[in-house]
Amino acid sequence: MFQILFGRKLRTFKNAVMALKGWHLVKTILFLLVGLLMLLALYGGFWRLLNYLEGVQLIGPMLSWKLASMVLLITFSMVIVSSIIISMTTLYYAFDLKFLFSCPIGLRSLFLDKAIETVFYSSWTLILAILPFIVALGRVKGLDFGFYISYLLLMVPFVMLAGSFGIIFSMLVMYIFPSSKTRDITWLLGSLSVSFVYVAFRFSKPEQLLRPDSLEVVAQYIQYLQAPTAPYLPSWWVTKAMVSYPAANWEAFLFYGGVLFAAAFVIYAGMYWLSGFVYARGFSGAQSAPKFHGVSRLIPEQRLVLKLENFRYLLTFYWKDRLLLLRDARYWSQIILIVALIVVYLFSIRQLPLDSQDIKSLVSFLNIGVAGFVMAAIGLRFTYPAISLEGNSFWLLKSAPVTTAQIMREKLLLSLVPSVLIGVVLITFSNHLLNADFFISTLATCTIIVAAIAVSVMGVGLGALFPDFKVENIHQLESSYGGFIYMACAMGYLTLVVAIEAWPVQMHFAQRFGRAHPWDWRGLALCAVTFIVLNAAVLVIPWKLGLRNLEKHEI
Amino acid sequence: MIKIEKLTKKFGAYSAVDALDLDIPAGEIFGFLGPNGAGKTTTVKILSGIMRPTSGRVLVGGFDVVERPLEAKKVLAYIPDEPFVYPKLTGFEFLRFIGDIYSVPYAEQQKRIPELLESFEISAQSGELLESYSHGMKQKLLIASVLLRKPKVVLFDEPTVGLDPKSIRRFKVLLRDIAANGTAVFMCTHILDMAEKLCTSLGIIYAGRLIAKGSVAEIKKLASGAHADRSLEDVFLELTESGG
Repeated sequence: MFQILFGRKLRTFKNAVMALKGWHLVKTILFLLVGLLMLLALYGGFWRLLNYLEGVQLIGPMLSWKLASMVLLITFSMVIVSSIIISMTTLYYAFDLKFLFSCPIGLRSLFLDKAIETVFYSSWTLILAILPFIVALGRVKGLDFGFYISYLLLMVPFVMLAGSFGIIFSMLVMYIFPSSKTRDITWLLGSLSVSFVYVAFRFSKPEQLLRPDSLEVVAQYIQYLQAPTAPYLPSWWVTKAMVSYPAANWEAFLFYGGVLFAAAFVIYAGMYWLSGFVYARGFSGAQSAPKFHGVSRLIPEQRLVLKLENFRYLLTFYWKDRLLLLRDARYWSQIILIVALIVVYLFSIRQLPLDSQDIKSLVSFLNIGVAGFVMAAIGLRFTYPAISLEGNSFWLLKSAPVTTAQIMREKLLLSLVPSVLIGVVLITFSNHLLNADFFISTLATCTIIVAAIAVSVMGVGLGALFPDFKVENIHQLESSYGGFIYMACAMGYLTLVVAIEAWPVQMHFAQRFGRAHPWDWRGLALCAVTFIVLNAAVLVIPWKLGLRNLEKHEI
Repeated sequence: MIKIEKLTKKFGAYSAVDALDLDIPAGEIFGFLGPNGAGKTTTVKILSGIMRPTSGRVLVGGFDVVERPLEAKKVLAYIPDEPFVYPKLTGFEFLRFIGDIYSVPYAEQQKRIPELLESFEISAQSGELLESYSHGMKQKLLIASVLLRKPKVVLFDEPTVGLDPKSIRRFKVLLRDIAANGTAVFMCTHILDMAEKLCTSLGIIYAGRLIAKGSVAEIKKLASGAHADRSLEDVFLELTESGG
């Protein structure tokens, strides 16, 4: 039975690939090529880093393996957290589950099929992301092809073990609290865990690994390098097996590899057995919707509609979206991740080893680009998906007496205010931490406000240009072709903004350094005009393209 | 109230609707019949303004749905075959949302929403999120939303799917009431018995082309060798199997 279930996945994948034709095929190939380029860039970065570490006298080889063990530990933790979030959907809310449960399929076979699906979805991106590191490690250490084959083999039990944590967690939680409310709580816990891992990793100051002088005693540093990163976790077993391979220590290699496979076998056999008793109860409970009691009175925006008739549609869509946002756990988990991103960002600014006031002001200027990147990343989660998240209900708006522009304007309003606020908060705090001078602080604040507006308009416009009303979650939109285009456009725009403003900033520094006649007014005027033209283009082109596309879009 | 002239909709080389002509006056209940994939849903989507025609002209309440979509949408109400609604709104909030976007005065919303909820027996669930509603309850809510805005044209695509027998009976009475008040009803359905008893005129579409149009009696006469005692089902099968 399991083979039949697995076979349907292979056929689905094959059919999806075979169905790629024309523009879809070109788009997919382009997407793959860009992904490959990113992996190559990562490989280049890792190669340089590992090459440097390997060259450090005496402790070089230890350093690279230590870094490898940390990378594997982080990957292991991230797969666990992903599997907690993903297993809730795959095991209890996947679109095909109701059909499969009604088929004469053994409960345990069904569970195993969904468990493997969970492991795949929660690990493939992470495994792909660390591949450049592993290839660079193998190359720096001069290892043969067998090393990569061994690594890939070791990854199978590694990700299965990591995924099993999330699967067991979801299965037990749904058994004890069989309700759809449990899913929301689990998603929140999952997001909190991701944020915690992310913040904890940053707060552990990993840069110290590259700056041995920051630790007091050399012996302490060597001791740190030699200590197991997490001796009882599979990430350490993989590291030990990988270390044993180049040393041709086959006994240790087989031991740690064997432990990994044996542990995976025992845990999956246990889960397979356990699922027969607990899976059905959890699935049944997941079908029940939580009780919710709304109120039947006017909400603030509706009161405003009574006074501001001209803003009827804007306010009506706004209250609808506000309620949907507040009641959807998917958004809350995104907000938790954003808070973590902002905390890490401000912490990193504070940790910058800057001594001179001039350097601090210069970094404050360059920080416009970084703060803009944080804003664009937030836009990728909120602004860009706003149109697509209308989902199957989009027919209601499409058949209503409202224009597409009115729908888009409301989406813009919904994300513009938080975007500007976040941008201003980020810039103000980081300027304060960096003690930036008045000119740079004012320039940075004004620029971030303009950039917040431009990036929001770009998000709504490109969201309308690449709508996908069939997606089930925000992550699918983030990693889509349109999501990639949005991020690329936002990054290109921010780079251009920093490049345009670099000239006036250079003049400002010339004044600070006491140079005679530092200001070139014609240069300033040219920068101002270029800045206005760039922003006008960003405010108009994506919006117009998106509007035209959404007007033509047929359901 | 609904006027369709030479309406054609193509998907690539395939014609989903091919040179369709229809004229449905106010107060008529028009049943649009046809096998799966014949072009019924495509037609109703074009009428509702969520799909654009490849060629031809569609007027709803006197307004061209392509040239003047906002005016046309103001006078029509559409209910699709799948009642997709915002899962995180309550039933009450959903009706308020519809009332607001169709400019139903606040005092009227206050009065009519509780009445409609009561009439469709979903008052007790009106404070719950729509994600907890069954298919039939969502369908009832959408029908209630149509009655709230009092449109001149109503477009239904398989309106009774998921409704319980009591609700179906109530739906039929409602349909007659709104037609009696001058609303034109355009209804796609596979339930031939309901179409025979409820509709004042029928159209049968096959492979995108209208193969029969008229009252139930006229349609029955169209089938070759038809006798007075033959059901609409027999006639429908004969017409669609012979391809018109």
